[in-house]
Amino acid sequence: MIPMTLTVNGQSYQLTVEPRWLLADVLREQLHLTGTHLGCEHGVCGACTVLWDGRPVRSCLTLAVTADGANILTIEGLAAEGILHPVQEAFWQEHALQCGFCTPGFILTAVHLLQENPEPTREEIREALAGNLCRCTGYQHIVNAVQRAAAALSDNHGHAPSGQ
Amino acid sequence: MAASSWIGRPVPRIEDRPLIQGLGRYVSDIQLPNQWTLVLVRSPHAHARIRAVDVTEAQRLPGVFYVATATDDEVFRRPLPGMSPIAPPVLAYERVYYVGQPVVAILAENRYVAEDAADLVKVQYEPLPSVTNVEHALKGDLLLHPELGSNIVDHVSYRRGAGHEALNQADVVVQVTLRMGRVSAQPMEPRGIAAIYHPADDLLTVYHATQSVHRAQERIAEFLGMPTSQVRVIAPDVGGGFGVKNGTYPEEALVTYFARHWGHPVKWTGDRFEEFLGTYQEREQTHHATLGVKKDGTIVALVDTYYQDNGAFPGGGIMVSRNTARNLMGPYRIPHFAIDGYTVLTNKVPQAPYRGAGRPQGHYVIERLLDRAADTLGLDRAEIRLRNLVRPEDLPYDTGIPDLVYDSGNYPEVFRDLLDLVDLPAFRREQAEARQRGVRLGLGLAAYVEISAGFGFEGARLVLSDNGTVTLYTGATNQGQGHRTSLAQILADTLGLGLEDITVVEGDTAGIPRGIGTFGSRTMIMAGNATHMAGERLIEAAKPWAAELLEAHRDDIVFDAGHFFVKGVPSRSVNWRDLTERLKAAGSAPLTGEEYFSSNVATYGFGAHAVIVEIDEATLQLRIQRYLIVHDSGTVVNPLLTNGQVIGGTIQGLGSALWEEMQFNEDGQPLTTSFLDYLLPAAVESPEIEIHHRDYRAPGNPFGFKGVGEAGIIPSQAVILAAVEDAYRDIQLRLDYAPVTPKRLFATVAEGGNRA
Repeated sequence: MIPMTLTVNGQSYQLTVEPRWLLADVLREQLHLTGTHLGCEHGVCGACTVLWDGRPVRSCLTLAVTADGANILTIEGLAAEGILHPVQEAFWQEHALQCGFCTPGFILTAVHLLQENPEPTREEIREALAGNLCRCTGYQHIVNAVQRAAAALSDNHGHAPSGQ
Repeated sequence: MAASSWIGRPVPRIEDRPLIQGLGRYVSDIQLPNQWTLVLVRSPHAHARIRAVDVTEAQRLPGVFYVATATDDEVFRRPLPGMSPIAPPVLAYERVYYVGQPVVAILAENRYVAEDAADLVKVQYEPLPSVTNVEHALKGDLLLHPELGSNIVDHVSYRRGAGHEALNQADVVVQVTLRMGRVSAQPMEPRGIAAIYHPADDLLTVYHATQSVHRAQERIAEFLGMPTSQVRVIAPDVGGGFGVKNGTYPEEALVTYFARHWGHPVKWTGDRFEEFLGTYQEREQTHHATLGVKKDGTIVALVDTYYQDNGAFPGGGIMVSRNTARNLMGPYRIPHFAIDGYTVLTNKVPQAPYRGAGRPQGHYVIERLLDRAADTLGLDRAEIRLRNLVRPEDLPYDTGIPDLVYDSGNYPEVFRDLLDLVDLPAFRREQAEARQRGVRLGLGLAAYVEISAGFGFEGARLVLSDNGTVTLYTGATNQGQGHRTSLAQILADTLGLGLEDITVVEGDTAGIPRGIGTFGSRTMIMAGNATHMAGERLIEAAKPWAAELLEAHRDDIVFDAGHFFVKGVPSRSVNWRDLTERLKAAGSAPLTGEEYFSSNVATYGFGAHAVIVEIDEATLQLRIQRYLIVHDSGTVVNPLLTNGQVIGGTIQGLGSALWEEMQFNEDGQPLTTSFLDYLLPAAVESPEIEIHHRDYRAPGNPFGFKGVGEAGIIPSQAVILAAVEDAYRDIQLRLDYAPVTPKRLFATVAEGGNRA
């Protein structure tokens, strides 16, 4: 068992984990943050995406101990004091989710995209989301949502939640 | 509908707020106190005798509570409930019949430990010759289940008119063998189930990623020998279903049995590998099909004999094979037919309904035959369809299949609308120009009827709460369809309430005594109408109380838009909140309304798809340039959700037309067991879908609802193969196998195109 420190959604945790435990399992089973979903456990579907120091990673392929000292944002930490992040709001308004299982991974990937590229084209959005699989929506409404979020973020320029 | 109607409004979903914040609750998220994790050791052989199973080491591993094999107890050798005429035992006994069949069950403190234990289990197998395709299975030299006397487990047969003989009246007869590969539904949430037993009450509570809590309740009760009243099944958030979360599976029997037997909560969460091995699959069929037509393209007769490679047990595959027969007519007038469908057992994981469930298969055959007949006659592929589509004057049109009578719409007009939207002449010009640049463009066209519901019932139970809000309970469960919003919209109209005043509770057997579930696009038709009926009943139950408050006779009370008043005096009224105050003061039970909508009348949505594919001459890289749908949804409750269903279904269909195929080697070993080998459509290759609505109310149910869940996926394989062929008209490319994967396209083109 290895002691480690993990900051998740702004809160610091002192944890003891088995070296083989995956970051996704530590988040879900030790911290009870079950919004991070396990869809494939082989790094393709992206449902388990979390932001590590602001960059998307697959928590199903990440050994938790390697994240010692890291700053992790999960889907639970995105809305600030009950106010939805513009990406969340846009997913809701555009019907960008059906079963919702893949959604946390898509939202966090989109948050990162819009930080890197605040005005993406539809093609650029599709390219950025290529590492996330959705079986319900056919992606079209997800692309609509990311465009809507981009517009909302540029309108709110300066005081949008940063998503870290 | 009134201007203020909720029905028809694109309301964002009520269910989304928790889901977008990671607050959903799927089975895998449920942590029962001190739960044990179930992990299964599955067969690595398609067909083998089990010589010996040694679990000694696994059993000794710290953290392992119990390791079960079929020889341990009679219960593990019991056949799965709800599958006939033959069902596998819960754990394989003496023989295994497909790769992935559960052999050993392990209960441990967590999945890490349980999987360590699984590695320590030693099973000695004696591999047996396996049957891995229909052609072999039909020879009969190797019977999978000798007690059945045959590898054919079902035969469906329909005749109309002179049947096969009518081919003599045709000017041209086209004959083709059409195949469809196996596909796998792959919902993003794998299957899962958890159970906790409360001994004091002899009550078993089951959290189940299922499409039907009541059917699951019946199976579990039957398997455990408990009354259904002691088994409560809850479907929490379910991460997609598409048909495969609706059947009987060994994991359901094991988890519920263990939870009760050990008096300890047990959970099984399947992983993606298990989703490829153990979850039922679909589509694999071979059709030997013949179409007889007149010189002008008019259909004379359809003859089709087909075989479904069903895997080792029926699963739910027999229904798929039978439903295929019911879809072979598509939206066309076919005066004579002879159809024979056989469900054949092989050493693969069983088939069970996957989105479409026979609809895509049947349409694939008739649409491909029409293309072939048009090509043979030198007729335009659009023209042959226009000459055979059921016309408005034919309605109601008896297809010749029992209980299938098309009842609404205008098929030729909708098809012509599609052609106008495509702009055929402009496309042909563009096609010729593109060719100069080394780009091949191809147009595919296909039409369809979406047959939904037509059996059984669904219910709605309403309870008026003390604060004047209403809770709706229904047996129709949700796997992403958004019923909590759409059913609330229907009820809001009936009761004159706002959406915020209505709570929909689905997927809990404790909420409503009877239910069937969500599959085959039936929920809006069945539960939607039931919801309105239950609302009417609630209004009737409320009238005596309103009469009392208004000091009038109940027969004089009218209800409109949330208000009860005396006929002719709308200025003085009481609302739901006033009634609850009165009920509370009187110490009365809450008002309830419960109704079941039961109907054997199917609904017939219809429409047509057009796709333009773009193929690079040099690399054969295929891109979808345009995808158009003209679609009849019947009465639309929520356009946002309806379009979501159609687009989602279409993209899924593109998967099974272009990329997705479960492949097996000659020994029955599955070769495509990860998302690296079995390719789901992702965002880049998925096109934008243009949907144009032509909605006709269904005459067969009060609200005119029709199914919309399958329209997208029905024509996808037909329309894509047609488009690719069109891109290679110059070499008369013939595609008789779906999907047309990049590899298959390359091989076919390299061979000169004509494999027929």
